[in-house]
Amino acid sequence: MTAVAAPAPTAAVARRRFQPRPLRVGLFLVMAAGSAAMLYPFLFMIDTSFRSEAQYLDGSGHSLSSWGKLFAALPIGQQLANSTLVCASALAIILALSSTAGYAFAKLRYRGGILVFLGIVSAMLIPMQSIIIPAYVNLSGLGLLDSYWGAVLIYAALGTPFATFLMTAFYRGLPDELVEAAIVDGLGYATIYRRIALPLSTPAIATVAVLQFIQIWDDLLVGLLFLQNPDERTITVGLGVLSAGRVTDIPVLMAGSLLSAIPAVIVYLALQRYLVSGLTAGIGK
Amino acid sequence: MTAVSVSRRSTPQPGSTHQRRSTLQRCRGRAGILLSAPAAVFVVLLLGIPILQAVYFSMTQWDGITSTWLGPSAYVAEFSDPTFWRVLLNNGALLLSVPVAMAIPLGIAAILHEHPFGWRFFRTIYFLPTAISWVVIGMVAARLFAQHGGVNDLLAAIGLGAIRTDFLAGEWTALFAVAVTFVWSMIGTNTIIFLTGMSTLDVSLHEAARMDGAGPWRIFVDITVPQLARFIQFSFIMTMISAFTALFSLIFVMTGGGPGYGTTTLEFFVYQSAFSQGEFGTGALLGVVLFIIMGAIGLAQLRVLRSDDQS
Repeated sequence: MTAVAAPAPTAAVARRRFQPRPLRVGLFLVMAAGSAAMLYPFLFMIDTSFRSEAQYLDGSGHSLSSWGKLFAALPIGQQLANSTLVCASALAIILALSSTAGYAFAKLRYRGGILVFLGIVSAMLIPMQSIIIPAYVNLSGLGLLDSYWGAVLIYAALGTPFATFLMTAFYRGLPDELVEAAIVDGLGYATIYRRIALPLSTPAIATVAVLQFIQIWDDLLVGLLFLQNPDERTITVGLGVLSAGRVTDIPVLMAGSLLSAIPAVIVYLALQRYLVSGLTAGIGK
Repeated sequence: MTAVSVSRRSTPQPGSTHQRRSTLQRCRGRAGILLSAPAAVFVVLLLGIPILQAVYFSMTQWDGITSTWLGPSAYVAEFSDPTFWRVLLNNGALLLSVPVAMAIPLGIAAILHEHPFGWRFFRTIYFLPTAISWVVIGMVAARLFAQHGGVNDLLAAIGLGAIRTDFLAGEWTALFAVAVTFVWSMIGTNTIIFLTGMSTLDVSLHEAARMDGAGPWRIFVDITVPQLARFIQFSFIMTMISAFTALFSLIFVMTGGGPGYGTTTLEFFVYQSAFSQGEFGTGALLGVVLFIIMGAIGLAQLRVLRSDDQS
């Protein structure tokens, strides 16, 4: 795992001492101006969502009417529940597959294992768009497009290669002696996985979970094609369909955008450091 | 966990030790195969087989019901279609934004690394786009680039009101709007990568350079950037992959690929061909082309990683 170490406070203090005052003020101002550009879209969403369409076009006045219209246009509660269910199911599959495989590749090195590992990891290069048509045909043949399962399976398949890479890298960092000692104690390899390796790997699991949660929660394409039944749509898909359906009531769309973004932002704020370590895990040592 | 202190080779006769180790090894191998098989089978079934099917489908003419075998000539036909090249040109034009999508985060990371007042707060804000879906970003961006949107207001405020335009109404201005939005969205990921890289830097080199009288700019260009080479390469590849494969939702919400084919990229064209025009064969073909491009980028990454191992 790449540590996201905030440099030691003493180093920071020492560095700061060399900065002349005007420079420090200047850097602060640049950062503040940049932050305004980063936050503007959110302020725009919040402000616009609390206007009616007429108020938005006028540029004056606020009301709650757009939020009311949003809840009338979309089954918001249902779609939030759908998003949660799809994310949780896909995550469960990804974590089960990648942590067992990662443990096997890192600690139970068997003949040919490295080839299997490379095969799985190289599937990371397959873009979603390249397999979407065959996958659509296959899953519709199996009748899975009218349930959550089609989308869950595709999300899980797309997430598994990178998760396996990450879990393998994590387990490689655990000392082999841990496994050997447990063998001497008479534990089997499966028990060692369950009782020792898996509990130790919570940081890696959190990393995979945060990264995949955000990816799946935010996805449109797979949901658009594989959740055919409107009752099973995720919030992001519901919103995408709403905008494509020429709902031109901008404040309603902004209210929906805001609502769909909140869960992912909360996860990000709570688990920021796991997201960071996940995004930089691909950089070799 | 409890038994780490137990010595792991008790000392019976050499022969029996050998025997026990080999049965143990066989047992371990079996466990390894069993535990890694589910992931392998899953990936083969849901990614491996479909990519091979895609290659087969790409050589057929197929509207979802009747299919005719065309063979490799399907590729020849597609490559002589001007629309295909127009779409690829859009992808190429988008790549021009990649250096910008890296340079801005590099600057932000460099400043954050100096720990100005409030840097933890700023860090959280600059990382934020990573968590926001392209659907939401596209939804807001479509308003900001409209005739009376924030971007035009900003241009007017700095005295460029004369060029006020509905960005999404023109082919090239719409592509420009998509590119700007793409740059904004990459700020989170790339700032994270560069800031992580900077936390691994060797501080003594910087101190030495400062003692020698090098200014901050010289230090940044001659010491920081070369030391970050690995992170810059990684960010480059991530940004390229995003430019080719992550923009579907953004385009879907922001422009729908239009006006005309103005903002249709290869990945969007896959969707359009198959699911709007019902040409599954063409869609599969475009997907295969996209896969080949990604494969080339992936091989480049592999070479980068390998050359690192040697150095």
